[in-house]
Amino acid sequence: MEAAEHEQQEVSLNTQNLAGKYLTFALGKEEYGIGILKVKEIIGMMEITAVPQTPAFVKGVINLRGSVIPVLELRTKFGMPIKEYDDRTCIIVSEVQGGSGQIQVGMIVDSVSEVLNVRQEDIEPPPVFGGASVDTSNILGMAKMKGEVKILLDVEHVVSEGMLEHFQND
Amino acid sequence: MAETGNIVKLLDDLAVKILLIEPGDLSSVGDLLDILEQLHSDELIGSFPGLPQMVTTLKTTVEKMIMGEFADSAETYDHLGQAVSSMQEILRDGEAGPDVIQSFCENMKKVGCAIDAADLFGFDAESSEAVDLELDTRFLRDKELLECFLEEAEDHLGSIESNILALEKSPDDTESINTIFRAFHTIKGTSGSVYLEDIAVLSHATENLLDDVRTGRHAMDAEVSEVILQVTDLLQSMVHNVRDMYENGLEQYSYHDIADQVEQVRAVQAGEKALHAVPDDAVVDEEPEPVPEPALAAEPVEAQEPPEKAAPPAERLDFLQDLDLLSGFISEAFEHLETIEVNVLDLEQNPGDEEIINNIFRPFHTVKGVSGFLNLKTINALAHSTENLLDDVRSGKLAMNNEIVDLVLGVGDYLRTMIQNLSDVVEKGPEVYKKYDISDFLTRTQAIRSGESVPVADIDTDVAVLKTPVPQEKGDKKAEVPPRAVAKKTPQSAASSSPVSAPARTRKSQVEASIKVNVEKLDDLVNAVGELVIMQAMVRHNPQITTISDPKLNKDFAQLGRITTELQKTAMSMRMVPIRQTFQKMTRLVRDLSKKTGKVVDLVMDGEETEIDRNMVDSIYDPLVHMMRNSVDHGVQSPEEREKAGKPPIGTVKLSAYQKGGNIVIEIHDDGLGVNTEKIREKAIDRGLIKKSDNLSAHDINNLIFLPGFSTADQITDVSGRGVGMDVVKKGVEKLRGKVELNSTPGEGSQFLIRLPLTLAIIDGIIVRVGSERYIIPTIAIHESMRPTPEQYKTVQGKGEALLIRDTLIPVIRLCQIFDVESECRDICESIIVVVENEGRLRALMVDELLDKQEVVIKSLGAYMTDVEGVAGGTILGDGRVGLILDLAGLITVCERKGSTIPVIPEKGEEAMGVRDEKSLKAKT
Repeated sequence: MEAAEHEQQEVSLNTQNLAGKYLTFALGKEEYGIGILKVKEIIGMMEITAVPQTPAFVKGVINLRGSVIPVLELRTKFGMPIKEYDDRTCIIVSEVQGGSGQIQVGMIVDSVSEVLNVRQEDIEPPPVFGGASVDTSNILGMAKMKGEVKILLDVEHVVSEGMLEHFQND
Repeated sequence: MAETGNIVKLLDDLAVKILLIEPGDLSSVGDLLDILEQLHSDELIGSFPGLPQMVTTLKTTVEKMIMGEFADSAETYDHLGQAVSSMQEILRDGEAGPDVIQSFCENMKKVGCAIDAADLFGFDAESSEAVDLELDTRFLRDKELLECFLEEAEDHLGSIESNILALEKSPDDTESINTIFRAFHTIKGTSGSVYLEDIAVLSHATENLLDDVRTGRHAMDAEVSEVILQVTDLLQSMVHNVRDMYENGLEQYSYHDIADQVEQVRAVQAGEKALHAVPDDAVVDEEPEPVPEPALAAEPVEAQEPPEKAAPPAERLDFLQDLDLLSGFISEAFEHLETIEVNVLDLEQNPGDEEIINNIFRPFHTVKGVSGFLNLKTINALAHSTENLLDDVRSGKLAMNNEIVDLVLGVGDYLRTMIQNLSDVVEKGPEVYKKYDISDFLTRTQAIRSGESVPVADIDTDVAVLKTPVPQEKGDKKAEVPPRAVAKKTPQSAASSSPVSAPARTRKSQVEASIKVNVEKLDDLVNAVGELVIMQAMVRHNPQITTISDPKLNKDFAQLGRITTELQKTAMSMRMVPIRQTFQKMTRLVRDLSKKTGKVVDLVMDGEETEIDRNMVDSIYDPLVHMMRNSVDHGVQSPEEREKAGKPPIGTVKLSAYQKGGNIVIEIHDDGLGVNTEKIREKAIDRGLIKKSDNLSAHDINNLIFLPGFSTADQITDVSGRGVGMDVVKKGVEKLRGKVELNSTPGEGSQFLIRLPLTLAIIDGIIVRVGSERYIIPTIAIHESMRPTPEQYKTVQGKGEALLIRDTLIPVIRLCQIFDVESECRDICESIIVVVENEGRLRALMVDELLDKQEVVIKSLGAYMTDVEGVAGGTILGDGRVGLILDLAGLITVCERKGSTIPVIPEKGEEAMGVRDEKSLKAKT
């Protein structure tokens, strides 16, 4: 009991700075959240130019008002089945810290839901599934909101992981 | 700006009022008085010599006119107007030239006001006597003026240096002498007006000397040019210091002792030799000691004396001669050290990774080379010995171990400390110069190398180390500085040193008005204009708009198109600068190199006015230095050898730039030995770069020197060697999307040819369609495009595809296959073939359709997608979508690796194409 309490404390320390506003979006039946400060804008689906020699989840590049930015498909990234794009499909443009300054990256999601204020006490560490079946390294924590669970995504990790894989491809 | 602007405005008002005034209109005269009153009370007027007195004089005159003491006639106003324009001139030039003062006085006298030039100057002289020579902060009073002065002084000093060097070649070139004279005159005048007395005094003395030269009272000889170069260097450092104080506060002040230099200039002018030629204890120079030898005072020195360096003031350091090069080296070196550190740490993780060792080796080599010609002997020796050590590691003579890693890291840190000190010297003056003891590192390096390496193989490099002068200096150094007593310098000064880009300002020059703009703003503008062009095209091709058939609209669109094109052209041209400055730096380099190597080399430059993209200027400098160094050090032979070969003893290195097609070409041609092709071949076989059985042309073999780890010099000198430089050259040029090649005629010389794109921002390309995707192929690489006939189509073993076009067999690359795109063209004879060339390799790219030829603005794919093989970048096409620009070198590499030119037997190929990665499917909206 005491140990559990101790653990709880430690966890809350680990997830201390996670409270705040999150933009939530859906991938299939799952709901994900991205820290609102990392989100630059949300745009509708547009034509994507495929870039060869890149991992499958890199859909290609788009023209975002004159700058060329890469677009990732989160479904592919997380190994989920592909879904036809419809009028709710969005690209969330996120700005993350890259090796040499800010990088803008677009992420294709099924639909954008809402902006949620997540309190510290609602956040739990990512569950351990064991084995290599589920990769939880992308996940900051799980937010329990009104009986639903939002998976809080570590955008920096998602993006940098993609880059690393890409470099290894070379 | 606002303050002086006020004076300018008031004077302009005054001039206009005087011009419009009618005789007898006393109320207007009253207006004049008002303006003069305002001028008088402007606090900044004091920063212009003579101006306050002039204002007072004018005021009295006008008052007297109102009182009726002076005639109030049209003539009077004429004179008054002229007097005011004299004042405007003073304001514009920032100094009161004697002519201007004279004309002012004459005009005033004609009006009836008795005034003498002395009245104006007398006061002035008095005020300058009161100047405190130690540190006078008055120069900071008018920032606008100071900024102006700094800008101009830097320009002038640059022009002085290049003119002096030109003069050394043709001493009778009066135009150059005049230019130098004018430059010094201007510096003298303007520095006086911003209260920089030291600079004024020094340039005044030099101006006097030059006046003698100009009027033939003194011969233009090596002594004069040497002393002027010294003055220039000193002035440069003083001006630099002033800028530092201006930008970073007064605490940056460093004292420059000009007395010695002034004395020396005067001595030269009087025809005497500088007598205080004390041995220079800072750095031992190879140049002969000046021989004290009293000459007859009045007699002009006619005979060409041996180039002789008058002793610099004791604290002057040899390497401070060229501050530009030095500060370039400092910032460069910091970057290199950063690279070294990152890579060494990387190497610890992956020992044995050759690429990483090369990455460590190269920066050391560059540091060694540059420090060598800057005469930074300690740094040079340390870098050299470490380089030798790393070379052993690279060639497998030594195993990489922790000891070496520690040593290399230690050397890196130590070099950083040394270079930090150098940067302090540049900022604060030579007093802060410290000597560092590197013997510890040298001993450790030697110990590691001799401990495990094969001694025989090392002899020559060991000798090279010993030959550098440092070991001899070590003795006295030890006495002065205990090895570990060198305090680590705090890096704070580095942060404050970076020159802040100057704010935009207008230059008050009659010749050409120019404005300095932050590069970032310029890039933003170019980007925005690029956007505008695209948007304009998009609006124009909007389906709704194309249905409207209104002649007015069409006319307006045409007009809009013209304007945007014009705008784009102008924006692009703003980024272009003449290559002159980069070339001029080479002059100094060759001069120093030829002194060092004992070769006499004449540098001929051509096409300095060729313009290149501003962003390329910095990146092209490094490769150029390496190539020049190679040409002088390895290319040109020593005078004796040259005479034996029946060539003139003076070698010629020709540096030229010109525009050819869509490229800028830079050529470096030397009339030396040429490249020893056989030796390169042997070495390449020795290093396993080619096989003995390889049948390569001489040209191909020569160009092997651009591969990492190559040296043709038998003897490794501290200036260049190993050919690592060539690797740097190739990488540097390729980064700019350029090409470099070496042509050589044995016995007659060799030629480096660099081809660079006109600009980094746009590329001329053909837009092709492959399935749903569009790609841009750089026009420069395209040989032809065609629809092949079945007779031309050949297969090898039923798999490899090739086309026989005019007796050349060209391998086919199916773009759709390489890029995983669905394409409707299966039969090669129904598709379009674009024949492209990359580094001499011809390939036939199979595409569905040619769409357009267009200049496209290159956009990077962003940090997320650096180095996608086969793709050089993206661009935004007319419809707003992104198109990818092909990188042919990468594309061919991918093909070779994937073996993509193989199995496309038509019927099986169709099947293969049906199975596709989902990713290649076009994203649907």
